[in-house]
Amino acid sequence: MTTVPFSLTRVGLIAAVTLREAVRQKLVAGLALIACGFVLGVRALRDFNFGTPELKFIADFGDGVIAGFGAVLTIVLLAQLFFGELESRTALTLLAKPVWRSEFLLGKFCGVVAVVVVFCVLLTATLSVVLWQRESALRVEGFAAVPAGVGFDPGALWVAAWMHIVRLTVLAAGMMLVACIAQTQLYAIIVGFSGFVGCHLQHVAQGVYSRAGSSAMAWIATLIGWMFPDFHLFTLEAGGAWTFEGVARLTVYGAGYAALALGLAVWVFRHREI
Amino acid sequence: MRRWPLGSRFGCFAIVKSRWRLFATVVAGLALGGAILTGLAVPQQTNREESGARLRESPGAGALFGWLGGFRALAADLLWLRMYAGWERRDLPGTQTLIRAVVAVDPRPAYFWINGARILAYDQPVWRIEAEGGFEAVPTERRRVIEVEQARLALGLLEEARGLRASTAAMWTEQANIELNKLGDIAAAAASFRRAWEQPAGPYYAARIYGELLRRLDRHREAYEWLCSLYPKLPPEDEAADAPLVLARIRELERMLAVPPAAAFRSGR
Repeated sequence: MTTVPFSLTRVGLIAAVTLREAVRQKLVAGLALIACGFVLGVRALRDFNFGTPELKFIADFGDGVIAGFGAVLTIVLLAQLFFGELESRTALTLLAKPVWRSEFLLGKFCGVVAVVVVFCVLLTATLSVVLWQRESALRVEGFAAVPAGVGFDPGALWVAAWMHIVRLTVLAAGMMLVACIAQTQLYAIIVGFSGFVGCHLQHVAQGVYSRAGSSAMAWIATLIGWMFPDFHLFTLEAGGAWTFEGVARLTVYGAGYAALALGLAVWVFRHREI
Repeated sequence: MRRWPLGSRFGCFAIVKSRWRLFATVVAGLALGGAILTGLAVPQQTNREESGARLRESPGAGALFGWLGGFRALAADLLWLRMYAGWERRDLPGTQTLIRAVVAVDPRPAYFWINGARILAYDQPVWRIEAEGGFEAVPTERRRVIEVEQARLALGLLEEARGLRASTAAMWTEQANIELNKLGDIAAAAASFRRAWEQPAGPYYAARIYGELLRRLDRHREAYEWLCSLYPKLPPEDEAADAPLVLARIRELERMLAVPPAAAFRSGR
């Protein structure tokens, strides 16, 4: 059999098909609508707000919605699309043609990342409108609720959105690796969610292990710290301080982990019997 | 790669072996790659470091809330509401636990620290005294012990807050009030009021009270010098600064210290 060279065009085509498939899924529309509803309806929750200024509360809550629903979307969508291809045997038909397995995986990955990017941009834009509207209303009322430095900073909000995209891209790559190893969709989703929570708790775990004082525990902690990215690093609070260098470093960190997970996913998938 | 068919006698061993090899390769790959990448990620010194430190202090809270991200504010608010339900029932351990839980979940707002300290210092001594039979039945010495214990808890909470977030004038003022009203430690309260004044946007009254407390400590000369140095900093148009009151106190101290008219403070206004 003659081998064809790796083609980014084929990756793009598979990504476009994946994106179309994803858009047709009720899950994506449903999650996007619910998340938008939460962001738009956050003002109804302001009666529960005690500690933080109102705009900060809205920004924080919107940030949480993007992070939470974004993670659910990434994990479930990737598992559905990947195992859907395998179960319906369309992957077999596709891979019987001169298409690399790595092209197939990269195409699926890029399609899911495109959905995630649209999701984050849509929700951040909605959040920006909500914050801008509320800040304008507070200023008109002459409220002292917008003290200096606490107002709505669109730049920081979009940087936070970028951090969400990077984190969800890493999550999608990790999920791709899990899906390539797993035999069932349910197993992949459960492991995916566990990994997501685990990556968020890295900093807590590291602190606990370091206080344990055992060198064996410290070694295990270091190993775990290397294996799983620390998602807490990406939690740039909406409206919080940020530097260009910090964001660039975190982007490189995230891209590196995504590439690593994807590389391993390709290796595992090449050894997998479909 | 050599493969054994599923039906062969080595089939199952081959599958197990290949699975182990697969997992080992994935783990080794992630660990090696991650070791290189971890060096690239410089931890950002933002508020999350503070909350991270707080969460590491209490692994239980960390496990529950470490991944909440942006929902932290809402989670803390809901816990605060729950704390109030306990406060209404005068549930001492429940309230204390929930105050700690709230500041573990979201240590950023000063509101939780300050109001938590107020509950510990002012409300809970009353609950404890009433639980022991009421103000009539509990001897003064015992009441004093309870008040000091609770004040120390409150001061501990404020101290912790300053370790985790930028200290604010409001926190020092709260500390000063507890030291003054609950511990009766005038010297400590004076020092705290002075710290409150030195914070950004420190209130003018903190500086005035510092001067007054110096007087109460019989450090009249120090109080006089303090007020003389304070007066030029007070904007005359600001009612909160109350410059005329400060000038009146300066004159009072001059009489007390018998300052000769030639050496008296000149307001220049």
